[in-house]
Amino acid sequence: MTMNVTCSDRERIFEDGTAVEWAALEAHAASCQLCAEEVRAWKSLSIAAEELHDYSDSPSLWPRIERALAEEAARKAQRGQMWNWFSRLPRLSIGWQTGLAGAFVLLLAITGGWIYIHRPVGPADNDKSLLKSSALKEVESAETVYERAIDKLAAEAKPQLENPATPLLANYHEKLLVLDSAIADLRVQAGLNPSNAQLRYQLLAVYQEKQRTLEEVLEAKP
Amino acid sequence: MGTMGLALPWRARISPTPRERGTRVEPSEPFSGGSSSAAADAQSEDAALAAGCRSGDLRAYERLYAMHGARMKNVARNVLGNPVDAEDAVQETFLKVQRSVASFRGQSSFVTWTYRILINTCYDARRSRLRKKEVANDDSEETPRPEPRAPGAHPSLRMALERALAKLSQHQRDVFLLYEVEGFRHAEIAGMLEMSETASKNTLFQAKKNLRQMLEPPRSSGAETR
Repeated sequence: MTMNVTCSDRERIFEDGTAVEWAALEAHAASCQLCAEEVRAWKSLSIAAEELHDYSDSPSLWPRIERALAEEAARKAQRGQMWNWFSRLPRLSIGWQTGLAGAFVLLLAITGGWIYIHRPVGPADNDKSLLKSSALKEVESAETVYERAIDKLAAEAKPQLENPATPLLANYHEKLLVLDSAIADLRVQAGLNPSNAQLRYQLLAVYQEKQRTLEEVLEAKP
Repeated sequence: MGTMGLALPWRARISPTPRERGTRVEPSEPFSGGSSSAAADAQSEDAALAAGCRSGDLRAYERLYAMHGARMKNVARNVLGNPVDAEDAVQETFLKVQRSVASFRGQSSFVTWTYRILINTCYDARRSRLRKKEVANDDSEETPRPEPRAPGAHPSLRMALERALAKLSQHQRDVFLLYEVEGFRHAEIAGMLEMSETASKNTLFQAKKNLRQMLEPPRSSGAETR
């Protein structure tokens, strides 16, 4: 006995129809133009999909895979050899294994305790950023030396600047006052945040500007 | 949506007598069209492959490649869009199978498990390619752009289908490719894509509906009125 289907069954059969339902739909489509077109279009998608079916041979692919598999197997074997070394250890009963594990934990605890008790406690040793601190010290000492050298230059230029003979020297004097003020500000900020490299660069740049200005003052000697 | 000037081909290019594939209906037994002995053969073949690969026998991998290599490459090519990436994905899949075959417990067939690894490898490759494109500030499309293939019987049909497939969601595209192009059963697709069989059927139905809308020529008014 054949099954009867209508247009309203079409989508359900497209989604999950049995062979019998498909046969019934095709029988119905013989007398229904819309269903006939829908069924044909639906099947056409499957046929069109075969256009994406490309099982062309890749002669170099298997040798490549085989080589990769062999290399991986060799690596695995090497790792296996290492584990075999452990497996050669004599087989111990659970009691012995527990005892050994306990002894190992005890040894670890004693070692850890010893290290904790004898840990260095000095303020310098507490510094976790030793490299940073030593670098900072180097920068600060270099700054001090540089500052002293500029102070010497300033001392040489002082007489001209205190009694400027020309408007140019008066301008230099003003500029140096501004630079000294900037240096003082930057030093305060660097004191608050000594590891800030950006501040150090700014300070260096202002010092260099002060040095250039002092040199110009000395060159402008009447 | 039309076919961008391509008179698709429902009538003109495709043979009026649809092949069996067009009405593929899944039977309830495990292997389509086969007897129980064929199913048992396939199962024992699958188990032998799994055992061979587990023991590290390269001949088992070679057999797996001989049986499924071309299909695996085609799946990868359709997901990734080019043969070079597809070959890399197949190689990576074999390596992953080798690394993890010891953990294969037989919840699904060995071959289905292998294809699941392949699909995941393709997803990973696609994701990493997208990340690289993002880093390179490339604004190309997310979906793979297929490279030219060997000419088929209907190159314009294939191009239209590839363009339409690129507009589907990833899940719809993958289910369509696995079912219609590769001929997998819904149960197998469900195993590969980690979804239910019903979801696979429904996704395929939605994919085909969307593809039809994208590809169909304007329907004749006569048909509309029926």
